[in-house]
Amino acid sequence: MNKIFAISNVVLLEMYRRKDFYVLFIVTALITAVMGSVTFFKDPEIVRYLKAICLFLIWASSLFIAIGATARQIPAERESRTIFPLMAKPVSRAQILLGKFLGCWLACGAALVIFYAFFGCVTATREHQWPLANYFQAWALHWAMLGIVVAMTLLGSLVLTAVSSNITITFIATVAILLVGRHLHQVALSMAEPSATIIAGLYYVIPHLELFDLRERIVQNWPVVPWGIWFIALVYAAAYTALLLLLSWLVFRKKALQ
Amino acid sequence: MKTTRPFVLLLLLLALFCSGLAARIDRWFMGWPGNHEDSLNPLDVMIGDGQKLFAGSFYREADVYYHSGFYPTIFDNRGAFETPHMAEDTGAVASHNQGGEGGFLGPPLDFIDAFNRHFTPNRHSHLDEGGPTEDLSKSREVREILPWLKISSELDPENVQTYIVTAYWLRTRMNKVAEGEQVLREGLRHNPDDPQLLYELGRVYYENYHDLQRARNIWESALRGWGKQMAGKPDSDKFNFDNKFIVEQLQTHLALLEEAAGNFDAAIAHWKQAKSVSPDPGGLQKHIDDLRQKFVTQTNAPAATSH
Amino acid sequence: MSVILKTEKLRVEFTSREFRQKTKVALSSLDLEVNAGEIFGFLGPNGAGKTTTINVLLGFVTPKSGAAYLFGIDVRQPIARQRIGYLPEMTYYYKFLTAEELLRFYAKIFGLARAEADKRIDRLLKLVDLEQARRRPLKTYSKGMQQRVGLAQALINDPDLLVLDEPTSGLDPLGRMKVREIIQRVKNEGKTVFFSSHELGEVETVCDRVVIINDGELKAEGRVADLVQKYQTSSLEQVFLKVVGYETSGARAPAATRTPIA
Repeated sequence: MNKIFAISNVVLLEMYRRKDFYVLFIVTALITAVMGSVTFFKDPEIVRYLKAICLFLIWASSLFIAIGATARQIPAERESRTIFPLMAKPVSRAQILLGKFLGCWLACGAALVIFYAFFGCVTATREHQWPLANYFQAWALHWAMLGIVVAMTLLGSLVLTAVSSNITITFIATVAILLVGRHLHQVALSMAEPSATIIAGLYYVIPHLELFDLRERIVQNWPVVPWGIWFIALVYAAAYTALLLLLSWLVFRKKALQ
Repeated sequence: MKTTRPFVLLLLLLALFCSGLAARIDRWFMGWPGNHEDSLNPLDVMIGDGQKLFAGSFYREADVYYHSGFYPTIFDNRGAFETPHMAEDTGAVASHNQGGEGGFLGPPLDFIDAFNRHFTPNRHSHLDEGGPTEDLSKSREVREILPWLKISSELDPENVQTYIVTAYWLRTRMNKVAEGEQVLREGLRHNPDDPQLLYELGRVYYENYHDLQRARNIWESALRGWGKQMAGKPDSDKFNFDNKFIVEQLQTHLALLEEAAGNFDAAIAHWKQAKSVSPDPGGLQKHIDDLRQKFVTQTNAPAATSH
Repeated sequence: MSVILKTEKLRVEFTSREFRQKTKVALSSLDLEVNAGEIFGFLGPNGAGKTTTINVLLGFVTPKSGAAYLFGIDVRQPIARQRIGYLPEMTYYYKFLTAEELLRFYAKIFGLARAEADKRIDRLLKLVDLEQARRRPLKTYSKGMQQRVGLAQALINDPDLLVLDEPTSGLDPLGRMKVREIIQRVKNEGKTVFFSSHELGEVETVCDRVVIINDGELKAEGRVADLVQKYQTSSLEQVFLKVVGYETSGARAPAATRTPIA
């Protein structure tokens, strides 16, 4: 376990020293600040549009961070040949993979804490309330979803040659699942065979990332999701993440490094 | 130097050709209808009429907010949401909705769908009725629809419904009557003599300022505006559902105004006009009869006491 | 004497698009044994299979057939690398890390306790003359400094077997001297060194035994003096040329194999 943490630590240091996160955070903060400076009909308490914009920016940024950072990990190690001195140490490929995953995922979690704290401060200035339980649920589910996305991207980085292809495909797949994933079964029912079976099959196979999107509930001030249901969603995320990591290991263990 | 000279000459020749072509095309471009160059709005220049698509989208978004996010997607049955409820509730817009509001999702298709519904808004509610918690003390949160309506009206100033809906909620829930009136007047700047906007403006004067004379003038002006709009149009257009609706609303409100002012003849005249376009002529006829009876009673009452 | 490193009928094949999907045999039934405490030279011309052999020993490449062992443990198991240090030919390390951070990272991989790691890091940075630059990011290091960091990370776990791939490549005379000193020090401590090099003069000076491979096959093996005698030549360079099939009739050797002036 120490080896996994050591590798994840290096990933965290890299992300800390790269400027990506800071740029995205500043852009998010700036856009939110500009939108927040607008008053509609002299009513300073209108806040939901601002929450929606801020959360959208947070989600977009988090996807850029998660996918962008993870897609580079193993290809960059191979390209820069830093993987060789690492592999020459008593560390298995599974440990390297887990270390990379953990580093990227922890970095996403830390970034999300800062983003959500910012979000909470912005909304508190207008709503004068701080629904911590709701924010905690949203943050945890968002972070869990990013675990799936990071694992997916890692798998992509081992299967696809080019980093840019991996980033593009993973990003499109993620956004597509978020937008239409929940409706695929409905679409399948209105189609003829064999398309109906294919779409229905896809519906049951894909990780339903939309489960983890609590934006609408947060924006519209809905009560918390029942804690048992919330926990089941986290378990679902853990299961899918584990499956994707297993697939990644199966690909990575046989891959020639040279 | 010798090898670069032909390239330089070629570049100069190309530049000359492009300038000549630009000068030739510019005259044609000035006369082209799609030319938005004289507009200062960057959106006008960039996407032109495409703004209307976005405007529609933002208008819908306001209704999504009105329902606290519980709203049908393009995959769901939208029969009960053809006319946004935030607009329907103003009483100024004809409703084309069919079916129940809360059942557009239907039963869950599978276990994933059933599980999914815990993570999204899953109950029908209106913001002005307290939202999902049905806490009436929070009915002022209907203000959250306003930014989307504002943006929608900026992008499509010719959509009068946006102004009507905005003004209604401003004056009835936000207690911002002046702002509501301003919105309607802005709508009238972009859509002069529009009967729907004038109707709503009349309501401002009638319901909020209690200025019956001004309200009457505005509503009569609205009827004249409707007449002008319908001039030259076939009867099928004149008496379609939406056009009949606005006439019925105007005539009904004028009738009520005249009743409040004690002008029963004028009131009955307006009720008769309303009856001719109403989906419930029987009900209105009964009201006319009651009004006549009331008028007769009132007229005879002083004579009875003098005896 | 115990055998530290062993390969048994090691065969490695690569399928290359370059050769139109033909299979290229990089190593053909290679048998090697390195004993504890010796300095072992692994020689061969470019493309002979030296780096491939090292890659198999370090687990980068899976052999088609045969086996390789380090300290009696199959090289496919990560624990086989617990007691080795590896210096690659080209030094590539995380540019965003400092020398100190890099060594600490590798120390954690080896499972060293914090206090012990700190002591070793200080000692190694002093040994390779990088104490002053320990907190600078590696991207600011010169090639010589990076090579020295490479040496330090190869020694962080106090290895019993040091695997060096062209350790003096690209180094100035001072750098080469440093490497020779370290090799000698390691030998004096009873450790084993396995290194491949084109610097035959250095090999001749430090190595106890050498192996010459060519086209993936073992061509010659033994002590330097024994090989010189066996092939009736006057130097290891002459032995090398003879073994790889280059006829020398007293003519000057081509530039690629000419022994540089140390």
